[in-house]
Amino acid sequence: MAAKDDYIVEMSDIDKSFPAVHAVDGGQFTLRRGEIHSLIGENGAGKSTMMKMLYGLYRPDGGTIKINGKVMEHLTPGISIGEGIGMVHQEFMLVNDLTVLENVILGFEPKKGVIINFEESRARINKYVETYHMDIQPDKRIDQISVGEAQRVEIIKTLYRGANVLILDEPTAVLTPQECTKFFEILQELRNDGKSIVFISHKLNEVMEISDRITVMRTGKYIATVNKEDTNTTELAKMMVGREVFLSIEKEKANIGAPILELKDIWTSGEKELSKIRGVSFDVRAGEIVGIAGVDGNGQSELIEAVAGLRKVEKGQVILDGQDITNDTPFEARKAGLTHIPEDRNLRGLNRALSIEENLVAWRFEEKPFATGINRNKKEIRKFAEDLIEKFDIRPTEPTVITQSLSGGNAQKIVVAREVDADGKLLIASQPSRGVDIGAIESIRKILNAVKKEGKGILLVSADLEEVLALSDRIVVMYEGRIMGIVDSEDATSDNVGLLMLGERLDEKEKEVS
Amino acid sequence: MNDVFNITLIYATIRSATPILFAALCATVTQQADILNIGTEGIMLTSAFVAVLTSVTTGSWLIAILMAIVSGIAIALIMAVANIRYNAHICAAGIAVNMFALAITKFGLQQFLGTAGTFTSPDIKAIPRIHIAALDGIPVLNDIFNNWCVTEVFGIVMVIVLWFLLFKTVWGLRVRCVGRLPMAAETAGINVRRMKYEVMIISGVLGGLAGAHLSLGYSQMFADNITNGRGFMGVAAMNFGGMNPLLVWVGTLIFGFIDSVGARLQAYGLPSQFILMLPYIFTIAILVLAMWRKGRMNEKAKSAL
Repeated sequence: MAAKDDYIVEMSDIDKSFPAVHAVDGGQFTLRRGEIHSLIGENGAGKSTMMKMLYGLYRPDGGTIKINGKVMEHLTPGISIGEGIGMVHQEFMLVNDLTVLENVILGFEPKKGVIINFEESRARINKYVETYHMDIQPDKRIDQISVGEAQRVEIIKTLYRGANVLILDEPTAVLTPQECTKFFEILQELRNDGKSIVFISHKLNEVMEISDRITVMRTGKYIATVNKEDTNTTELAKMMVGREVFLSIEKEKANIGAPILELKDIWTSGEKELSKIRGVSFDVRAGEIVGIAGVDGNGQSELIEAVAGLRKVEKGQVILDGQDITNDTPFEARKAGLTHIPEDRNLRGLNRALSIEENLVAWRFEEKPFATGINRNKKEIRKFAEDLIEKFDIRPTEPTVITQSLSGGNAQKIVVAREVDADGKLLIASQPSRGVDIGAIESIRKILNAVKKEGKGILLVSADLEEVLALSDRIVVMYEGRIMGIVDSEDATSDNVGLLMLGERLDEKEKEVS
Repeated sequence: MNDVFNITLIYATIRSATPILFAALCATVTQQADILNIGTEGIMLTSAFVAVLTSVTTGSWLIAILMAIVSGIAIALIMAVANIRYNAHICAAGIAVNMFALAITKFGLQQFLGTAGTFTSPDIKAIPRIHIAALDGIPVLNDIFNNWCVTEVFGIVMVIVLWFLLFKTVWGLRVRCVGRLPMAAETAGINVRRMKYEVMIISGVLGGLAGAHLSLGYSQMFADNITNGRGFMGVAAMNFGGMNPLLVWVGTLIFGFIDSVGARLQAYGLPSQFILMLPYIFTIAILVLAMWRKGRMNEKAKSAL
């Protein structure tokens, strides 16, 4: 166990502003040798910003950072690495068309003169692979390996650079429950070896499982640091949000009708080998939520794009309420009754340079009553926008505010408002609560349930298994572009769905049970 | 037809390709760091002029090459500072440099060499050719390998040197990373700006060689806009070769081949305007082909069928 005052990192009174936001205001953080310390808070609480300052990527406006007792004045990543700080970023810092080996040694290459000494690199990497039981394939290119493996590569990369402190930014977001367990074993091994770990997360169960101490941040401010033994998830959630939260909504009983969306043997291209869709068939019926579960990158995004007309269907049929919409343009699909909350709201959901009202009316600004000929009827648009802003509780309430400045939650509510109001037959909700604060998650989930009650079909995709389980009536589990199984919500648990997400069929296991 | 396609066509191809080859390498090294070097043309033109001027005044082709390199670096650094330090778009900086080069060389031609349009003089000390006496009289080998210009040999050496630098050395790995995912380089403690400056300086050296070879090796003269789009053809060849020096070299050889065949066809009464158009038509064709191939490969790689 770590000695009480043996601090390897001390950050005090840290202050950091960006042009639009005061990201960290009075941040405090200490790290002992050989501990796992979780840093928790909602999106935008300043967790990542704090750690990026420790790693030297951002320079603090005020406060002091001490590493190994030394006050560090002008940190750069180079200096931080030299002091033994390593960071695994939420977005992996791996170059796609270089090999695993090249990525690991980058910046710290063993040399023979000016030439890279590949044999020595390999030997040094193998040492970490064996010590911590992490298999990686050094000669594969990054775009040929899975997300889980890419994460192990990232960890080996930081160890290779001589890190004693590992900062892990939301490391479990891309893992299945089973992979998580294995990942935690690795972390414990690292801790027992004397490494210190900063675990950034907002998943409270995981935090309670793995941490020694926990620091909570909220809207850039330091809230508290507690020992794991002295707290519980309810208390942590309260500290994170600043009030009590109830995320578990009573699931409305589904009143199921005729099929709204039928997918028949869909094949589409994929960004990676594992995300190519190969022969997917299922349907979504009126009045039910079908959730797609799966580890990110197993073809969920590609499938949704294919349904929505954003990616070419190479084989198969997409049928919406009896009408064949295969390879229709997105606009034609919309006209046929498809509405879509896209997974990346900044790329496809919103025009961030335009105002709230312009985004709300975006897909029908040329229709009556919003336009007469080539003139826009600003009054009508304003009235329409004000209605939706009130109904969906979008803040700020001023319709002319540019969406660029909105928080993740409110930006997402604009997209949700527009798509729900479009009153289609099918609503696709892709990662509806990604990068959204807990308050907004609560209201988005309520809205989805209300839409279902109106008798519409909902196709939900989420990387958050807990969300899929909480909302869906049926769960389609995808693995490497194929369906591993379809589970009714009564039978679904994070265990059996998790196994399917790993690509293991259920039948054998079920036989054992029965 | 034997007058067109005969053994001497091999050397003729190398001869026409070399100026474009240096330009293509100049564009390749920066492209590896994700800098599209439109300014290759301007670097080349300026250093072609400086090479002739220095050659006439000092009487040394070696000093002329060195000065051409220095001027190449200077022009490259203008772009580098504008782009890396002041965030100007690299294409805007490149276009500015190209126009500046046209103007400054025209001005310099009048001011220092006292003529307009074209400057030729017996005082121009050209880059020497390597005469291998032993090959005299041996039919095929003599036609292919004898009397190469020093820089023509050096061009091929540079292809291999650049390939080695990019794919085998620490520096090359870092450059490739800077060009593909600068954040990854930064988090590895690599100074991204510095790497970009280094790459630009090397492109200045290569562009300087391109210019010097054009005015002192390929020809012995300077004329307004003597480069005549060769810098851009270099950029096209870089695209064709997908930033790999060896394939880029192949691209420039295609240009060289077209150019030499075209020149010979003139003797058969093809209109000279048509012959002069050929390199540009092939630039477009090669770019279309390169992009089409890239698109096809991409599509094929992504398809699930």
